[in-house]
Amino acid sequence: MSTIEMPLVLFSVLSQTAIGLVVINSCRQWAADGPAKTDRGQWGIVLAFLITGMAASFFHLGHPLQAYTALKHLGKAWLSWELLGISVFLCLTLLGFFMVKGKNARLVTTLTALVGVLTLLFMGMTYAPPGYPAVNNVLPLVFFLITALLLGTGFSAWVAPSAAKPWLTRILTVTLIVGVIVYLIVPCIWLSGGTSMAQTGWTWFASPLYWGRVAVGLVLPLAVLWRIKDIPLWLPVLILLGELMGRAAFFRDTVHAAANIGGLQ
Amino acid sequence: MKKQYAFFIDAERCIGCFTCAMACKNQYHQPEKVIWRQVYPLDEEIYPYTERAFYSLACNHCENPTCLNVCPVKAYYKREDGVVVHEQEKCIGCGNCIRSCPYGAPRYNPEVKKAEKCSFCWQRIDAGLKPQCVQSCPVEALQIVDLATFDKPGAVQYPPGFPKYPKLNPSVRFVLPRLPKIIGREDI
Repeated sequence: MSTIEMPLVLFSVLSQTAIGLVVINSCRQWAADGPAKTDRGQWGIVLAFLITGMAASFFHLGHPLQAYTALKHLGKAWLSWELLGISVFLCLTLLGFFMVKGKNARLVTTLTALVGVLTLLFMGMTYAPPGYPAVNNVLPLVFFLITALLLGTGFSAWVAPSAAKPWLTRILTVTLIVGVIVYLIVPCIWLSGGTSMAQTGWTWFASPLYWGRVAVGLVLPLAVLWRIKDIPLWLPVLILLGELMGRAAFFRDTVHAAANIGGLQ
Repeated sequence: MKKQYAFFIDAERCIGCFTCAMACKNQYHQPEKVIWRQVYPLDEEIYPYTERAFYSLACNHCENPTCLNVCPVKAYYKREDGVVVHEQEKCIGCGNCIRSCPYGAPRYNPEVKKAEKCSFCWQRIDAGLKPQCVQSCPVEALQIVDLATFDKPGAVQYPPGFPKYPKLNPSVRFVLPRLPKIIGREDI
């Protein structure tokens, strides 16, 4: 989208990491045989990612002090829904952080995960504008789901009990394989689309950010998992680096429809 | 059909002099690189002759404007006459309209840190005047029409080189540049 839009890169990737963490924690609780509550440390790491991401998003606005007015257009604007979703997600995360030992802790985790998934949907719609034909579809949602699952699973390994590691490793491996396939095939499909889509495909293929994302964020972690069959502490950081590069490519290297006015569409 | 003002671009007449774009600048004094009206030359793939051809484009004041739909602070509204107005005092500079409009009409003004776009000179319209770009065109290639009554034969909405977005239904009509007559020996 012509510039890297670093505040949006940080906001989207870090908030999706937070959502992924809660979703994985919630799934782990329902999948566990006995009680497997989300402890305060797990909620803390979710809060850290979420607050850092939300703080970054303010730097994207020309007038950040008026950010609250972005809730005014819930009737039509997906961006308003995105803000509502992320705000409710933050409130539920705070609730979870302060009532980890309450009897409704598992319910709060599940509810937070559901709101997180809905927020991912709102984000996917927000970043699928008509101005960018290549991503004016379900692809942003697919990209964001992959980000949430990759980083949610990866960073869960920091806080989850060791018994959950094999389960997390399997999920991360499958998600990395899906990510590699999606990120290699999608630009190829764009090449057979209209002018803007084809230009986007070629721009991505010529982008060091795109290849950095595939190599650092997907292929290398997959090789590590294949080799050691475990999630080392540094692996999610590597995946995060890849995701940041990929999101920067998403914003910088996707071609706007107006770039071809006067030429073949 | 309700009243809907639109720009009518006669590419046969347009000589690419940029007077329309300059008139817009003179009227509103936008900062450098903030352009509400742009004159786009057509690629050789579309018009392969040395007589150049151009589209003078600004906001298309769409029937279903995506800028209005995606703006989270309701900074856009559509008037009874179809003109899409941006209320800059409400804008928070999120850039969502800029990303969303496939015609690149809203632009970011780095001085006020807000978006802005062609207003169709609605204040001039209300005073019974033409928009400044229309007023200034020396060859009458740029005109203002009401689509409710517009019925010019040969006018098209989506000529080659203009992105096609039927859902937005841009309020703009074109007359394409004629191909030059090539006189060969057999014509003499």
